[in-house]
Amino acid sequence: MARGELSRTLWSAAEGLRSAPRSQCTRTMRLPYRSLQPAARFISTTPSRSAELTSETPEAQLEPFTAAPEIEFEADEGGDKDSGGGNNQKSNNQLLRTLRVVPASRSYFSAKPTFTDDYLHVSALLRSVATLPTILTTEAPRVAWKTIDQYRIMTNEPVKTQRFHRMMHIVKRLNLVHPSLMPEHIKTAMRRFMKDSQPGDLVPAPQLVDDWGRARGVGRRKTSSAVVWLVEGEGEALVNGKSLSQFFGRLHHRESAVWALKATHRLDKYNMFGLVQGGGSTGQAEALTLAVAKALLVHEPALKPALRRAGCVTRDPRKVERKKTGHVKARKMPTWVKR
Amino acid sequence: MPPSTCLRSFSQLSLDSTARASMASRIRLHPQMAYFSTSAARYANPVSKKKGMAQAAKKGTRTLNVKKGRSSTQDTGKRPAQGERKAARKRIVLTNDNALEVASLKDITKADALSEANQGRVLGIPEATVDALRAVEAFKTTQGWSLFRRPATLIRKETIELAKVMKAAEDQRKTLRRILSGERLSGKSTLLLQGLSMAFVREWVVINLPEAQDIINAHTEYAPLLDSQPMQYTQETYTASLLSQILKANNTAENPMLEKIKVTTNPVLPLTLPTDATLKQLIELGIVNPEASWPVFVALWQELTQPGRPPIMLAVDGTAHMMKESDYLNAEVKPIHSFDLTIIRHFVDHLSGTKSLPNGGVILAATSQSNAPSTPALDFSVQVAEARQADPSKTPRWNPYKNIDPRVMEALKDLHSPTAKEEVKPLDVIKVGGLSKDEARSIMEYYAESGMLRAKIDDGFVTEKWSLAGMGNIGELERASVRLRI
Repeated sequence: MARGELSRTLWSAAEGLRSAPRSQCTRTMRLPYRSLQPAARFISTTPSRSAELTSETPEAQLEPFTAAPEIEFEADEGGDKDSGGGNNQKSNNQLLRTLRVVPASRSYFSAKPTFTDDYLHVSALLRSVATLPTILTTEAPRVAWKTIDQYRIMTNEPVKTQRFHRMMHIVKRLNLVHPSLMPEHIKTAMRRFMKDSQPGDLVPAPQLVDDWGRARGVGRRKTSSAVVWLVEGEGEALVNGKSLSQFFGRLHHRESAVWALKATHRLDKYNMFGLVQGGGSTGQAEALTLAVAKALLVHEPALKPALRRAGCVTRDPRKVERKKTGHVKARKMPTWVKR
Repeated sequence: MPPSTCLRSFSQLSLDSTARASMASRIRLHPQMAYFSTSAARYANPVSKKKGMAQAAKKGTRTLNVKKGRSSTQDTGKRPAQGERKAARKRIVLTNDNALEVASLKDITKADALSEANQGRVLGIPEATVDALRAVEAFKTTQGWSLFRRPATLIRKETIELAKVMKAAEDQRKTLRRILSGERLSGKSTLLLQGLSMAFVREWVVINLPEAQDIINAHTEYAPLLDSQPMQYTQETYTASLLSQILKANNTAENPMLEKIKVTTNPVLPLTLPTDATLKQLIELGIVNPEASWPVFVALWQELTQPGRPPIMLAVDGTAHMMKESDYLNAEVKPIHSFDLTIIRHFVDHLSGTKSLPNGGVILAATSQSNAPSTPALDFSVQVAEARQADPSKTPRWNPYKNIDPRVMEALKDLHSPTAKEEVKPLDVIKVGGLSKDEARSIMEYYAESGMLRAKIDDGFVTEKWSLAGMGNIGELERASVRLRI
């Protein structure tokens, strides 16, 4: 009977601890990973979860647990004596006080408890939604997942690459659940493995055609930057107040400047006037290309695929490579001399 | 020994023997030594070459040279003869046999040369006029004449404007002066050429100074003009060649104008002129005797301004060059102002309105954007006139920090501060701008019909080229559609 009672209390304590919100990870995240670097052998044994550290940081989500007091063996003996006497309630409390705290996680005694927990958790989630219909990988919502390094910093555990990817495979499978049937708790669970900023997060404010019918676009290339205003018209073009032929001596540059209009057969539908500064002729012409394309997209957003095919949507990020010390130029090395 | 040499030797031998009988015995002793033996030269010690006097390798020799670093490409070509390169550079090609003949191309005729109905059409230049234009050097090497079968021009808005001016000058016997301005490659020189060709077709007397730079760049001789105050300078060679150009251009087989006109005044010339002489004879006198060329030119001008003579077209290209000091130096080694050169003074007097043409006529001065010295006075005057055409209330102000040439300002007074209130201004600017889209289409159809532009001429194509050519700049349009085909 007593044994049964003991085991029940133990279980109830364990249940109480488990039902409390898991906050180990957030706690462990607070400890900088770098501080563990000098003593790498500590990594396996999570010594950072010391009571001192947690007490220092006022965390609202701390688990309500108290460490067990030291075992007083003399008192214990006395208690044994008392237990025959019969104050059952009191003896139970006494007994509980002497009990050791049961860890919240079942994988507490494994080498990488957080990771193991995560793994078990996502596996369980997948089991729960395995029967739901899925979508194709190409149609799945685009998510920027955490890299392994970011995950390691978050968990503060030396997770192996292969295991991490095995877990991520499950998470990505969760992402394939049909969006209309996706349970809310899975969405929240997946958020743990996502980067803080997602691809679609930064949506630029939509540009509008202003009161005078102008659409504005900005483009850059090399060290040039261009601003272009596009109005409906019949194909006139001014750059810095000059005509195209006055501003660009080369025919090629003139064509690149209005390439967005030419490629979409809109050259005779719009008038453009642009301001361009910095860089050389090529940079200025191609900065204008981008600016004209962006301004054109304000007028006709449906042209985006056509413009992308014409190569007018993406900004060319190439710039002059910097010179390095010891080199003659960016990459060129001085000639080898025997003496 | 080849037979010819042998024969020559014998003949010389016989000559010697007959001429100098006393030598005959010696010759008989050594009959052939002097002429037939080559052994002396052959056995003579070879002349030792001086060190460092080694002759340079003859041009055209080819030797094996596989060493690195030496220029392996020896120039084996023949050097061009003297003047050949310049001739090639200055050559005017007016026909392209590979271009197609445009069936619909009509020529300018005397009847409708100045009519407004031609606007937007491409019209050919008649052959006689082409010869005359060639004689006055109106064609430029930079223009695209060599691309088409025969010279033809687009009658554009500005051409009609000029034609109106010419019509007014012809009908009302007025002297009208126009300065052609516009951006680079916009067709100023071609408009000048159109003016000249219209004048030729209308049987005017045409005097063209093909390039003002040639007059002032001190490449021809000059001499002070006697009894001139302030001192003026004549350019005899240049004037003589100008006279020959005038004669060649205005006295063609179709219209021997100068042959018909008799000298009526009694010109004072350093040379005697036959009685009852024609203008042609007068001019020929100046051509043959360059030292008399300037008095001949003056006499010619006096004859041409007599009543009853045809109107005169006086034109110059590259005006900016004559609006500054010339490269000639006077006796005090100070630069001579261009206005003190007699030919230029003659032109500027008419451009400024100091002298007028009693039989009517047009003075045309084309500016240039590619070869022009800085002439703030001319630039400012042209700017003011252009601004006044656009909006009379907004004319630019003179920048006081720029160096003003007071003589030029004085000469162009009518341009920057006009006093005349007439409808057709005596001195004005014709701004040569871009083509309209219809004009662009017309000229591009001409290109296509000539086979030089292989594309379907539709609105989209015309607009594209029109835009790329900087809103219809005709020179750029030609470059974009005919010359640079990518």
